[in-house]
Amino acid sequence: MSEAAPHLVISGVSKRYGAATVLERVDLTIRRGELVTLLGPSGCGKTTLLRAIAGLAPPDTGTIALAGRDVTHVPPHRRNVGVVFQNYALFPHLTVAGNVAFGLKVRGTPKAEIDLAVRRALALVKLGHLGGRRISALSGGQQQRVALARAIAVEPDVLLFDEALSALDRKLREEMQVELRRLLQEVKATAIFVTHDQDEALTMSDRVAVMNKGRIEQLAAPRELYARPASLFALNFVGLSTRIAGQVVGAQDGMVEVVTPVGRLSARGAFQPGASVIVATRPEQLRLGADAGANSAAGRVRSVVFQGSRTLVDVDAGAGASLLAELSGREAEVPRVHDEVRFAWPVAETFAFAAEAAP
Amino acid sequence: MMTRAAIVVCWVLAIGLALFLVLPLAVIAAASFSPTPVFDLPLSGASLRWYGRIGRLDGFWPSLFLSLQIALLSTALSLVAGTLAAIAIARGKLPGATALGTLLVSPLMMPGLVLGIALLQYFRMIGFTATWSALLVAHLVVTLPYVARTMIAGLSRFDFTLIEAARTLGCTYAGSVIRVMVPALAPSFLISGLFSLLASFDNYPVSIFLTDVRSKTLPIRMLQYIEEAPDPTLAALSTLILAGTLVLLLISDRLVGLHRMAGTAD
Ligand SMILES: Nc1ncnc2c1ncn2[C@@H]1O[C@H](COP(=O)(O)OP(=O)(O)OP(=O)(O)O)[C@@H](O)[C@H]1O
Ligand SMILES: [Mg+2]
Repeated sequence: MSEAAPHLVISGVSKRYGAATVLERVDLTIRRGELVTLLGPSGCGKTTLLRAIAGLAPPDTGTIALAGRDVTHVPPHRRNVGVVFQNYALFPHLTVAGNVAFGLKVRGTPKAEIDLAVRRALALVKLGHLGGRRISALSGGQQQRVALARAIAVEPDVLLFDEALSALDRKLREEMQVELRRLLQEVKATAIFVTHDQDEALTMSDRVAVMNKGRIEQLAAPRELYARPASLFALNFVGLSTRIAGQVVGAQDGMVEVVTPVGRLSARGAFQPGASVIVATRPEQLRLGADAGANSAAGRVRSVVFQGSRTLVDVDAGAGASLLAELSGREAEVPRVHDEVRFAWPVAETFAFAAEAAP
Repeated sequence: MMTRAAIVVCWVLAIGLALFLVLPLAVIAAASFSPTPVFDLPLSGASLRWYGRIGRLDGFWPSLFLSLQIALLSTALSLVAGTLAAIAIARGKLPGATALGTLLVSPLMMPGLVLGIALLQYFRMIGFTATWSALLVAHLVVTLPYVARTMIAGLSRFDFTLIEAARTLGCTYAGSVIRVMVPALAPSFLISGLFSLLASFDNYPVSIFLTDVRSKTLPIRMLQYIEEAPDPTLAALSTLILAGTLVLLLISDRLVGLHRMAGTAD
């Protein structure tokens, strides 16, 4: 199978629990070897989608195909998926090696092969020396690795991680993010991570699926997701932004003119005149001073937050609007609180979104 | 942080208490080897003559069999019923599950005498007079709480994602239960069985109200011997029971670890 061939194809998957629709016609196609993150707020259906893929909670409608096989109605034990659970779900009555060998034993793999696979999986997660340990005698980070080794050992068609790193402390989590990504690329695994941590999503994945209320709002590479958010929700959920409400007064060629409390702004977007929109841009697009042909707005500096390589400036632009600017360390002058300032930013980096209730 | 003095005091108290509890047992065991027919420490040589007399005690064998029968049977029934009840209470979405659990365990908190009198009255009232069956039912009331309590605790500590993990690793649902849930709950099962067996075998206060002249359980028979003719035979019998219990405890320790029975560790 070629690298680019669709490996996991989810189409039109819906799931309801009682009156609540938890997944609503979810479509998602993942290529072989790809690392995709499901990112979204609590309760948006991430775990439910993962469980549907694993076969633990079959969808009400829609189909799931894995490695060219329709698995929609295949029970979990015949799907060949690997799951790393949030609490690891390691078997307490087995040793580390016993846990890793579990899936292969169940499959009836010959003993010699099991031993080899267990040793290889444990070496991969750097736990080769702990095979004989009891699970209760491991640290959280070590348990996490055992769970990973156990899932990898059976060479699953897809690896599923449900907030697998969230139980680790911050420093260990950041180390594991990098290490896990390297390791998964090494074994050429196709993997789906579930997280509500945007940094984790941006760090770990080839593509990020932003989920909201049981739908996928946007599926894009991390860089594109940040630079070209498809909805107000995606904009808000990933990264910081300046957002100003206004009314469309002119529209042409995918661009709109918007009247806002801070003045007339141009933005990318297709709306009819009269529509209520939110105009937004990322903070690093803002530059001090006026610039002909760019959007600009003035105001009084409310706060200046120094963060090492960058400085965040919050500006009160009047009428309830505010600007958020990120100035890099190279910037010659940084305004001070109460300064009157004007910021400009490129029209091409300004977006208009339908005004809806912010999450 | 405990000070050194506090630690020493704790240990002295613990050891003193243990000695206080164990010494009588040691004295009984020693007395059972006495060559003379009085309860005495065998300072002038040991003898096994009293052990030989146990089997010739009046009504000993029927009492032993009755006690073993009732203990084994009530334990077996309690294990089945108690485990099923525990599953319903800990897992099922039963309305009033907590109340039911408390009710099931409540005989543990009742004085045995009260329980015995109550059962006697009740059985008379409903005309349930078959001694053997009455004894079995009464012992069920005594043993079921042990099983239910231990199994409810074991089940509520059991993490059901383990079953899901096993399923994604290639086990059928039934296979996951056997490979993951059974090993995880086996200690609770064994321990509750052991407790139940011991609780039934040495039960006196409940049995005393329900036995008749022809069918007496071993503890009741032993009290009768003491009243009739106190000689070291009884010490010998006690020592044998003690040894049997020790063997059971050792086996359980081998299988699941005694610390779990004491409930001092997970
Ligand atoms: N077995 C179930 N029965 C009823 N409702 C459920 C069940 N499982 C999930 N839900 C509901 O479905 C919704 C989505 O749950 P899900 O666990 O998929 O969210 P999530 O995105 O993983 O959230 P979190 O980040 O908090 O883990 C929630 O509102 C939850 O209450
Ligand atoms: Mg979840």
